[in-house]
Amino acid sequence: MKNVLNTKDVVKVLKIIAKRIEENKDYITDLDAILGDGDHWANMNMGYQKIVSIEEELLELNLADLFKKVGMTLMSTIGGSSGVLYGDAFITAHKSLIGVEEMDKFKIHEVLDSGLNAMMKRGNAKPGDKTMIDTLYQAVKAYKESLDNNDEFEITINKMVKAAEEGMESTKEMEAAKGRAFYRTDKGVGHIDPGAVTMYYQIQELAQYIML
Amino acid sequence: MKKIINQPDNVVSEMLMGIEKANPDVVYHSGVEVISRKQKKDNKVGLVSGGGSGHEPAHAGYVGYGMLDAAVSGNVFASPSPDRILKGIQEADSGAGVLLIIKNYSGDIMNFNMAKDLAQMDDIKVETVVVKDDVAVEESTYSTGRRGIAGTVFVHKIAGAKAEKGASLEEVKEAAQKTIDNVRSMGMAMTPCILPAVGKPGFELDDNEVEIGMGIHGEPGIERTSKKTAKEYAEIMVKKILDDYDYSSSEVALMINGLGSTPLMELYILNNEVQNILKDKGIKIYKTFVGNYMTALEMSGCSVTLLKLDDELKDLLDFESKAPGMRV
Repeated sequence: MKNVLNTKDVVKVLKIIAKRIEENKDYITDLDAILGDGDHWANMNMGYQKIVSIEEELLELNLADLFKKVGMTLMSTIGGSSGVLYGDAFITAHKSLIGVEEMDKFKIHEVLDSGLNAMMKRGNAKPGDKTMIDTLYQAVKAYKESLDNNDEFEITINKMVKAAEEGMESTKEMEAAKGRAFYRTDKGVGHIDPGAVTMYYQIQELAQYIML
Repeated sequence: MKKIINQPDNVVSEMLMGIEKANPDVVYHSGVEVISRKQKKDNKVGLVSGGGSGHEPAHAGYVGYGMLDAAVSGNVFASPSPDRILKGIQEADSGAGVLLIIKNYSGDIMNFNMAKDLAQMDDIKVETVVVKDDVAVEESTYSTGRRGIAGTVFVHKIAGAKAEKGASLEEVKEAAQKTIDNVRSMGMAMTPCILPAVGKPGFELDDNEVEIGMGIHGEPGIERTSKKTAKEYAEIMVKKILDDYDYSSSEVALMINGLGSTPLMELYILNNEVQNILKDKGIKIYKTFVGNYMTALEMSGCSVTLLKLDDELKDLLDFESKAPGMRV
């Protein structure tokens, strides 16, 4: 169990996420073939593989610059909607990390929350729109409630992951308000949003790393 | 899949290299996938548009005197990223600010607005307009709403002429917005298109089936129906447009647009039918454009676009354009 995260930790988490995304090509691509353009996995994979390829450079950076660099890299390599949303999330989050060497549980919440708000603002999206925000919103909400409850950090992390999973699952019955699925007559009802799944992978891998 | 390509990953950059070689007036910025005008005029409002590739001649074909200053290409059917759009803005900026002409898709809206934020950090004045002319989609406040399709080309034309005449950023934006407010389009598809990176069609249509209202990325339309005559197609599309916006007793610009693999012969047949209907309804056609203006790779099908004109819009529509996609 870790209590704080520094640059080295964040880079390790990003590498683990890259592997997780790489391993789930078929599942994500199939989901996106139904609801989107079918390129969500390929784009996310390209973005995270690019992160892996600049690992050495990232390890030299302080937390704030690391987040900014990751944001700019994801923005330009993922492309499409996901690229700008993840890019904006990391770039916005970097502002709360200026001068910070290690993130404690409160800082981690602040970073996740500012990323979430950046995504909602940029995407003009809210929970319930059947997007990746449904996963992150529930995760951040549960995290905050647990912090307010003065729970042990381990419990907070567990609650966050559980909420993220429920958020992801909840997209299945939602009607899409954004993106290509919106144009479907059924608005995508009955299918999990692939963006909500890749968001879940990221939160789950972060949590597992903290719990190690 | 039979296509004249090398590697699916390289289609966008190789296409833009080809465009640069075909048009001595533009330059290609490799890596950021921007086509911009070679000749810049000081203190002219810059016009930038763009979006996913696969809609040629949109958008690089509309770069030229009288239309756009820069076009930014994303991958096939995917929005360009903000760093690319920022490069387009920088190329288009000559001191009088830049107008971004955006088609209404979630990805384009986000990426262009993020690029606007980045450009403003560099002290470039940027304004945006959003084209949403596709009447196949219901307008809605809680979702993305109507898509931007062929009507976008009229926005490029009108705003481009206005900027060329030395108007301010606010005036160019007003002319663009007036065009958007008065333009409506409706399309249909007969065969699917194949994304080079995917290699197979994203949807299927039976031999005797067409889809009314399908989007330029193969998004679902209003209904699938059995094949009909050109006259019937014209009636369906024109009716949908006229139900949405009152063009009665007005003068219009008409665009009969092909989606990629529909022969010009058929587009002219459709034009004949559409004009007959409009004439019966007392709608006067001021200018007609028939051709492939906003395509969807090799999809076959078409769209009909009407733009209501006043004296200002007529004047701007008639203004010279040297852009290869729409010479006037």
